[in-house]
Amino acid sequence: MKRDYFDLWGGALLALCGVAVAAYSVNHYEFGELRRIGPGFFPAVLGGVLACLGLAIAVPAFLRRGTREEVALKEGLFILVAVVAFALLVERAGVLLTTLIVVLIATVPATRPGWIWRIGVAVAVALITWLIFILGLGMTLPVLPRGL
Amino acid sequence: MNTFEGLLYGLSVATQPTVLFYCFVGVFLGTFIGVLPGVGALAAISLLLPVTYYIQPEAALVMLAGVYYGAQYGGSIAAILLRLPGTPQSAVTAIEGYPLARQGRAGLALFSAMSGSFIGSMLGILILVLFAPLLAKIGTKFGAAEYASMMLLGLVAASTVGATSPAKSMAMVVVGMILGCIGTDVNSGAMRFTFGQTALLDGVNLVALAMGLFGISEVISNIRGSDERKLREKVGLREMLKERRELRRIIFPAIRGTGLGAFFGALPGTGGVIATFISYATERKVTRTPERFGNGAVEGVAGPEAANNSGAITAFIPTLTLGIPGDVVMALMLGAMIIHGIQPGPLMLVERPEMFWGLIASFGIGNLFLLVLNLPLIGIWVALLRIPFSLLYPAIVVFVCIGVYSVRGSTFDVYSVVVIGAAGYALSLMKFNPALLLLGFVLGPLIETNLRRALLLSRGDLLVFFERPISAGFMAAIIALILWGLFTSIRSRRGGSAPASVTESGD
Repeated sequence: MKRDYFDLWGGALLALCGVAVAAYSVNHYEFGELRRIGPGFFPAVLGGVLACLGLAIAVPAFLRRGTREEVALKEGLFILVAVVAFALLVERAGVLLTTLIVVLIATVPATRPGWIWRIGVAVAVALITWLIFILGLGMTLPVLPRGL
Repeated sequence: MNTFEGLLYGLSVATQPTVLFYCFVGVFLGTFIGVLPGVGALAAISLLLPVTYYIQPEAALVMLAGVYYGAQYGGSIAAILLRLPGTPQSAVTAIEGYPLARQGRAGLALFSAMSGSFIGSMLGILILVLFAPLLAKIGTKFGAAEYASMMLLGLVAASTVGATSPAKSMAMVVVGMILGCIGTDVNSGAMRFTFGQTALLDGVNLVALAMGLFGISEVISNIRGSDERKLREKVGLREMLKERRELRRIIFPAIRGTGLGAFFGALPGTGGVIATFISYATERKVTRTPERFGNGAVEGVAGPEAANNSGAITAFIPTLTLGIPGDVVMALMLGAMIIHGIQPGPLMLVERPEMFWGLIASFGIGNLFLLVLNLPLIGIWVALLRIPFSLLYPAIVVFVCIGVYSVRGSTFDVYSVVVIGAAGYALSLMKFNPALLLLGFVLGPLIETNLRRALLLSRGDLLVFFERPISAGFMAAIIALILWGLFTSIRSRRGGSAPASVTESGD
């Protein structure tokens, strides 16, 4: 039996989120009345609507054949790790060093392999970053590693 | 101040050296971004949003607007030469433009696109100048009920008109609205969905959301297979000017396209993509030789290009006069204005005339810049198509990080980009449109505030939305759109041949 698994899981997940949001708002925030709406009213209604829409997406997907999408797992992983690296490093290592490391991580899944090429890109991006953000726009970011 | 004085005043603002400089930077970057497939105007504007903290407000908004309409020009270049639309709005241009390029007449295709774009923009500015003050006058009569129902109409229209799956589109809007609830509730002071995180008290950061959804997620989905496309044609100014006698075949499609683009652009929630498809269909209908369509008909390039460019200009009408963004880019522009302490709306014309008229005058100047950039300098853009994506995307990733971090020096925002980027990529895999999420995010809090205010004034009477004539009109349109959405989705499930799916390749 073929099913449109992407829509099935996507719809189910959204419906679940909707129920969770609605339940949380009803329990934690004042619902109010129409004359004076409380902070819980809007999210509760939205959660309910989302639950219905999620079902409307998931139920038909159960009966339909879907297409397989290629998932860029490796690309996604390295790009996200690169962003995490930025968040971890920027305040300690400064923008220049951080940029070098971020680019080296982000270029792992690039279609053009090779260490020399990747280091070249990293240096170039670090230079452009410094030119645009520090020199051009005068942003107050830590440039060099702390202590230098 | 009448319209003429306003325009003169606007020109004096827009010709200040700094503003002029940032106008040029904006249209240049816009064309650049538009040419590159895989990076849209949305990603570019979200990248530039933090940068605007560092320059004066007039220059900042002129630049952001320049990126937006500049990208409409640039998008057609990649569409024509590589059949890769640089922006969603230029997808239609590829239908006729690419065959022309394959026949060795890329010059003609580019010339039609450029003249169509220029005509569309200039007439669009004229329409903006004529209608915006009028609409601002009507806007002063709007109360909370009208605002709430009009924004709701915008969201419903955005998720039903031309959407392949209205349920999925609406789900995205609702998710955006829920994300918009996060943070301190302005009416009661309650902290909603913050889970003890002080960084969430001000809500989810708009820049982080936009960059995660468009910057990071687009990079992830474009890395693989991005360097396989090849460009062979050589195009320069000479090839384009050779075709100037074709202008008479371009002018009427361009005027028709302008009209369609202006209408859909000004209508909140619909936007340029739909206008380009309708313009293409119209040209095919009115021509005496429909058999040329599909093999390189210049009308099919000029009409849609005029439509998307005039739509990009008239999209500013509801944004500036009512404070209601018509599409996602406008939602970001609205965010940028609020960041700079400008509240768009009916009073902007009176309170901030320098901003209002300066922006409009800059559109004219920016389009003249674009004409120069796109005719004599076309060679640069064609060469740009040869830059491999694996050289560009590392820079994009770094710029996203720095941009988000610099907004308020918070690594929390950078971490949220990681989560949002992952979610955004998952959503695009499941064929959800993240642009609608952002629209819901921006409009959601505005709707909630106006809804609560309207109900407070009517003492809880829901009929207030139906009793006031303007609001009743919006509500009727909302109901009609929802019924229509239900009807088309049921019919397409049964028959399989949905006539409403013309925009399938456009989203």
